[in-house]
Amino acid sequence: MCGIVGYIGERQAKPVLMSSLSRLEYRGYDSCGIAIAGSHVEVYKDAVRVKVLEKVLPPMPGTMGIGHTRWATHGEPSQVNAHPHGDCTGEISVVHNGVINNFQKLKQQLVAEGHKFISETDTEVISHLVEKYYVGNLEEAVTVALHDIDGSYAIVVLKADEPKLVVARKDSPLIIGVGDRENFVASDVPAILDYTSRVIYLEDDDIGVITRDSINIRRHNADVKRKTHQISWNVEDAQKAGYEHFMLKEIHEQPKVIRDTIGGYISAAEPVADLTKSLDTGLGEILILASGTSYHAALIGKYIMEDLFKVAVRTELASEFNYYGQSPVRGQTIVITQSGETADALKAIKRLKEENCRVIVITNVPGSTASRIADQVVDTRAGPEISVAATKSFIAQLMALYWLALPYAKVDIRKLDNLIMGLRQLPGKVQRVLDNVNAVSECARQLSKYNDVFFIGRGINFPVALEGALKLKEISYIHAEGYAAGELKHGPFALLGADTPVVAIIAQDNTAEVMLTNIKEVKARRSPVIAVVGEDNEAISELADSVITVPQVDAIFSPVVNTVVLQLLAYYTAKYRGCPIDFPRNLAKSVTVE
Amino acid sequence: MLKKAVILAAGEGQRLRPFTVNRPKVMLFIAGKPILQYVVEAVAQNGIRDIVLIVGYKKEQVFDYMGSGEHFGVRITYVTQDRQLGTAHALARAEEEIKDEFLLLPGDNLIAAETIADITRINPEAVLVKKVDNPMRYGVVAISQGKVTKIVEKPDEAIGNVVSTGIYSLTREIFSFIEPELDLPEALNSMIAQGHSIVARETNGTWLDVIYPWDVLDLNGAILRQAPAHVGGTIEAGVALKGQVSVGKDTVIRSNSYLSGPVVIGDGCDIGPNVCILPATSIGNNVVIAPFTEIKNSVIGDDVSIGSGSMLQDSVIDKGCVIEGHFTACSGRDEIRVNHERHTVSVGAMLGEGCKLGNSVVAQPGVIVGNYSQIRPLKLISGWLPDKSLVM
Repeated sequence: MCGIVGYIGERQAKPVLMSSLSRLEYRGYDSCGIAIAGSHVEVYKDAVRVKVLEKVLPPMPGTMGIGHTRWATHGEPSQVNAHPHGDCTGEISVVHNGVINNFQKLKQQLVAEGHKFISETDTEVISHLVEKYYVGNLEEAVTVALHDIDGSYAIVVLKADEPKLVVARKDSPLIIGVGDRENFVASDVPAILDYTSRVIYLEDDDIGVITRDSINIRRHNADVKRKTHQISWNVEDAQKAGYEHFMLKEIHEQPKVIRDTIGGYISAAEPVADLTKSLDTGLGEILILASGTSYHAALIGKYIMEDLFKVAVRTELASEFNYYGQSPVRGQTIVITQSGETADALKAIKRLKEENCRVIVITNVPGSTASRIADQVVDTRAGPEISVAATKSFIAQLMALYWLALPYAKVDIRKLDNLIMGLRQLPGKVQRVLDNVNAVSECARQLSKYNDVFFIGRGINFPVALEGALKLKEISYIHAEGYAAGELKHGPFALLGADTPVVAIIAQDNTAEVMLTNIKEVKARRSPVIAVVGEDNEAISELADSVITVPQVDAIFSPVVNTVVLQLLAYYTAKYRGCPIDFPRNLAKSVTVE
Repeated sequence: MLKKAVILAAGEGQRLRPFTVNRPKVMLFIAGKPILQYVVEAVAQNGIRDIVLIVGYKKEQVFDYMGSGEHFGVRITYVTQDRQLGTAHALARAEEEIKDEFLLLPGDNLIAAETIADITRINPEAVLVKKVDNPMRYGVVAISQGKVTKIVEKPDEAIGNVVSTGIYSLTREIFSFIEPELDLPEALNSMIAQGHSIVARETNGTWLDVIYPWDVLDLNGAILRQAPAHVGGTIEAGVALKGQVSVGKDTVIRSNSYLSGPVVIGDGCDIGPNVCILPATSIGNNVVIAPFTEIKNSVIGDDVSIGSGSMLQDSVIDKGCVIEGHFTACSGRDEIRVNHERHTVSVGAMLGEGCKLGNSVVAQPGVIVGNYSQIRPLKLISGWLPDKSLVM
């Protein structure tokens, strides 16, 4: 998914394009660029976010231009692969959203005819095709070029000396914003709402010619009229699709993220990453490095792999590893970074590379810096995440870790079949958690009154306790700490009392019984206890003050359902406290400084 | 020309239980899409891009799927009806969003674009009506000289076979006649009583309602007749694809399977080898169907797993069910009770979501199994089992 915009009118195009692009960042943000046309076409683009590009843009005078914000599919995010894409002359410029299926074939033909390609993108074939067919009229060239193309597209094309934008769509969204002595084009309405509320929706196979004063649309070589719609809603609401916050929207996307991820992994012919070297050569050591929420995924990865491989797994915080932990790793290294741009993670990867380690990167941004310097990349497919608090990207990281580990699991075939079946069932289990939110919301109402909260878990759910505490503190501003349940008595007990509730996560594994003992200890200090536990656990309901039940899953998958509960708990607690959930104070989505 | 549509999507659809325990009626999935999406697409095909969705029961599922509407080429504004007190009450929630005339339609009926075109060409106020065989289920419309004289909801005795489709073109005038806890026909009746004229426009286009669990199969049949063929994923050697067959991305159809359309299969499924899928069947995403299984005229939800050697006819299996081998769900005529009504239908098994069935379970025709039920191996199941039943 990418975002495209266009402007033609009396204003300077640059500020209009940049502000429209910033409205489309939810569609992707790994790179962006604009092209502005006068007597020639000036293009400026880079693998950065819109805000960053805006700061470094040179003055680009002109009242007609196009822009693009990208989420890479063909070709890594880089300056050359960023849109707009030009032809050989540099006079034609194209922005495109969609996928061209036959681009390899078209590219070969065009190269044979002497066209020079610069990027790895499918889009560039459109620029060269338009150049090839151009005989004095841009819309005719675009119309002919599109005959050659098999795939989905929404495009905006401009050419120096032709004061018009040519647009076309097929299976990708595209709208025209109607202004006075100016017109706009965009993938989605929010991009142009600051300028006009009159919108024309293009249909598949429509080709439009837009000038400052006119809009003409043709379909299959005949003029068609498309209605102008008056838009009456506001930008923010539209993007949140009914939800009050992006965070809740993204929490609710998780069943789909899981389903998409496992579909892709299962159908892949090869395992997602090659662990043979570390597992079969006797080196047998695995290091997982990460920061923040990704570090909690790393800790869960440690439990998964130690359980399935029976080898020792070491986890490190990237920020610490960069200064200490000097012993080099002889086996496999896995680095987890949502953005692929986290400064600490990048520094760690560079150091590992210098020490000749093989590095697998798990990231949500294909082609990010981390993935470019890695030996192997596992793409988590969570899509763009807007809320600062990571939710779906964390769950997608866990899915990546399961799939990394399962092909090498040293378990018998029946157990493996059960695990794969368990994984396939996860989207439905997570949906059940989302469907039964009342108990969570009620617990959140209680939690919102306290100033300190402890989260406890054991084994594979210890990192879940850490993640639950992190989510709560970052969005609700309540002081929260995650502890391994057995560690509470080594100090934190001094803080327990009627004012410090404890959230206990209980998995149906060998830790269930000792967790009960831990909860009894906590109860003895008068702390209110909220238990997160599998269905039909009566022993707990008698002990805890509140119980949130989750669907039964194999213990190895319990972090997935339990984390979703804790995400919802943090969300509703913050909501009861009236916090700015999507944009918590002092925090940024991608931490690009050490 | 109408520019705005208001779609009612707040209802639960109680008589569709167990399928509506965890989803609103509009989100029943058929051939890979919820009913609501078919309605939204039909509205968009009539050039109406501005849609107000009135949501309520389990509204998050509508948000998650429909989003801002951009995937469907429309712009969606959501309005929440917290308590489902009737269709007029629902419409009243949207009053702020409506500036002039608008199309009002139910989100839980299968409505074709041509059906909607029949009403968008005439001026409001108007109601789209249709002749049906079983008028007692609907609001029967009495008509004189092309104008509605009265709408009678679910009449006890037959007064005609022309019923309201629930599709109206209206103006803001309607809001003066809405009283709380009323359904729309009552508001329209009081409009007529005050001397307003409402045109009755008859349609021959597709309009299907789903009321009972087995109606899902009729809807599936109607939708699959129109489904385009599109083959993605991996089709192994020796697979036969006949007629209109659609296979989603990342799906594998293994050797010697026989798929006879209309059949729609979602993304990420693992099917075969030697599986036989016969018309008219729709299968969701992430579904596993093991060897030597035959499925005919059935609807299978997301994340379902069906073991080897199974036989399913005229059956509806909701998402997340895990069925071990040799499950038998043959079709037959049976009398089913819903609330206090009795219905005689030809149907196989209807399983709610998340059910677990052991090996060699045999389902009597017409069995309805509640959500999250567990059936131990070698059991014969029949009748109506409530949610979370355990059959040992």
